[in-house]
Amino acid sequence: MSEQTLSGSPGTLALYPRAVAPLIPGLSRLPFVPGRGKTVPTRELVLEDVSVDPEHLARYARVCGFRLAATLPATYPHMLAFGLHMKLMTRGDFPFAPVGLVHIENTITQRQALRTTDRLEIRVSATQPEPHPKGRTFAFLTEARVDGEVLWEERSTMLRRGGGGGDVRRPPSRPKQPDLPARAQWTLPGGLGRRYGSVSGDRNPIHLTGLTARLFGFDSAIAHGMWTKARCLAALEGRYPTAFRAEVAFRQPIKLPGRVTFASEERPSGLRFAVRDTKRGTPHLDGTLTRLERAHT
Amino acid sequence: MTQKLRRAAIVGGNRIPFARSNSTYAEASNQDMLAAALEGLVSRYGLEGERLGEVVAGAVLKHSRDRDLTRETVLGSRLSPETPAYDVQQACGTGLEAAILVANKVALGQIDVGIAGGVDTTSDAPISVNDDLRRILIDLNRQKTNAGRLRTLAGVRPGQLVPDFPRNAEPRTGLSMGEHQAITAARWGITRAAQDELTAASHTNLAAAYDRGFMNDLMQPYLGQERDQNLRPDSTVEKLAKLKPVFGGPDGTMTAGNSTPLSDGASTVLIASEEWAKEKGLPVLAYLSHAETAAVDYVGGDEGLLMAPAYAVPRMLARAGLTLEELDLYELHEAFAAQVLTTLAAWEDPVFAREKLGLDAAVGTVDRTKLNVNGGSLAAGHPFAATGGRIVASLAKELHARGGGKGLISVCAAGGQGVVAILESEGV
Repeated sequence: MSEQTLSGSPGTLALYPRAVAPLIPGLSRLPFVPGRGKTVPTRELVLEDVSVDPEHLARYARVCGFRLAATLPATYPHMLAFGLHMKLMTRGDFPFAPVGLVHIENTITQRQALRTTDRLEIRVSATQPEPHPKGRTFAFLTEARVDGEVLWEERSTMLRRGGGGGDVRRPPSRPKQPDLPARAQWTLPGGLGRRYGSVSGDRNPIHLTGLTARLFGFDSAIAHGMWTKARCLAALEGRYPTAFRAEVAFRQPIKLPGRVTFASEERPSGLRFAVRDTKRGTPHLDGTLTRLERAHT
Repeated sequence: MTQKLRRAAIVGGNRIPFARSNSTYAEASNQDMLAAALEGLVSRYGLEGERLGEVVAGAVLKHSRDRDLTRETVLGSRLSPETPAYDVQQACGTGLEAAILVANKVALGQIDVGIAGGVDTTSDAPISVNDDLRRILIDLNRQKTNAGRLRTLAGVRPGQLVPDFPRNAEPRTGLSMGEHQAITAARWGITRAAQDELTAASHTNLAAAYDRGFMNDLMQPYLGQERDQNLRPDSTVEKLAKLKPVFGGPDGTMTAGNSTPLSDGASTVLIASEEWAKEKGLPVLAYLSHAETAAVDYVGGDEGLLMAPAYAVPRMLARAGLTLEELDLYELHEAFAAQVLTTLAAWEDPVFAREKLGLDAAVGTVDRTKLNVNGGSLAAGHPFAATGGRIVASLAKELHARGGGKGLISVCAAGGQGVVAILESEGV
């Protein structure tokens, strides 16, 4: 695998023209426009000596409902890696165009809480495409290291709808989700996607306004999946140790503005949690938090 | 009903370093900071999942949305969510008063263990709408017709749109705390040199405490701050002498150096019965044995705003059957160097003793080598409600490390109040 160390986090705003370019008919034949490759390039992007900007962390904590602590929210390194994800996807040899990709699963494994003062090394690579009943998937593999030790890992599975999925056998149907007791109701304002978008740099038009979302086939702007996961972990704050794995599957998108119900329960398999539409019960997110032995005691 | 009293043990404490206003902690709320201090305490003493008797804390500058600040902090912590909590507020006495409240419940056997704490931010301060505008908005809400609403809104004047910032001023006198203290200092003839000397000692002592690792198990870094931001290890009387007076006019003696700066921070203290500490294998650093809160009439009477500790301490000593000189260490909260010096002067004055305290002789003299031996608020900073917890934890540790003894804590507060207490330790 080739490794490329970047001198700084790429500005994501500048990458959007490239991200959107494949949507314009004809452009995808140009060499620098993503969507041409058949396989995911075996390339690892590395950012070294990354430090956390306390002001950005505070904005992130506020929008997600975390408290500003001496350690980072477990979803925060995703922010630090987002620029690398975009960079990887907007290369001409990347087989998928970024806009229109759907984040369907996210697993974060935290061996030890990262401190706000840690100097981090962020490494990002992507897996080869795999067939999926609804299209093709690949995953971003992200690591956060401190002094060479991997303390945090993430697997973000992305789906490209359509193309190449028809010939696979349907995987076993989704295991029935447990009926969890409701714990809280969250009222999500219409501007949530814009607010989280400005903090995270993820300004995918489907999150910003109803109008831009409609261009991509959604009725209204939808909440970011990683915001929803972060909001869940914030709601569970204090109820899990510093070493854990949090796996979520993103189901139906949350339309903004909206009202959703957060549910959770302690099960033998771990702490189960879910987000449902308050009125209809439509599933938005299903998650499990498994406690791990600490890397160091 | 007869009830046997138990001793309330100070097991330990944890705080975050204090920061100057609008600096490192500018983005942190009271709940963020209190939670950070509490999380450190939970980790240090293995309290994960424990249901404690109670957590008591408070903040002086509090947002209306932080109605149940302490309970909300507990709910997000790794303590059992079944741990009850409540807020207290007694200006700068909040932190010490919270410790007294928890210690009293432990002593009475009502709880076995509790946490006392305090937090304040002067950066993320509660700014409210101008009181005139507030009344207009309430009236607007009351109006039933659009015409009525329009009439109400038409009454708004531009000046009423200016928000109210919290002010460090006494509501009944309109004077700031520093202005009040400047009057008291002048009355007692407290010199600039004496104030600067006390200030330099505060910085020197706190710097020495850090250097010998004394703070290591009393503190946890937060947002990149590892030491109290206000600390100037190289502070000297000569440097302090160059500062211009900020209170008491051009001839005033009080400067930005010998007055505490506005600060942000939080502190917590773990208080338990001896049995609980023993069961958990945790040390007992000291016991909170006596406490007193006094208030003075600084509005209609002739006493200084920050003089209440001068009254509270002799009353407490009388009840405890102790003299001032029998104490081994003295922690006088340094709101202003002049506040500490006027208090010491009052205790040395036989006229004050006779006329104000009704005593035959002066209260006594404090050996300066035993005063604020690990620094005070002038060096550490003073996030109002967090100061009490800072002092309780560090004095308990110091008494324990010295092989035992008795220590005095004295904290002056707005509203003419003073909270004082005695810690006693049997040493290692």
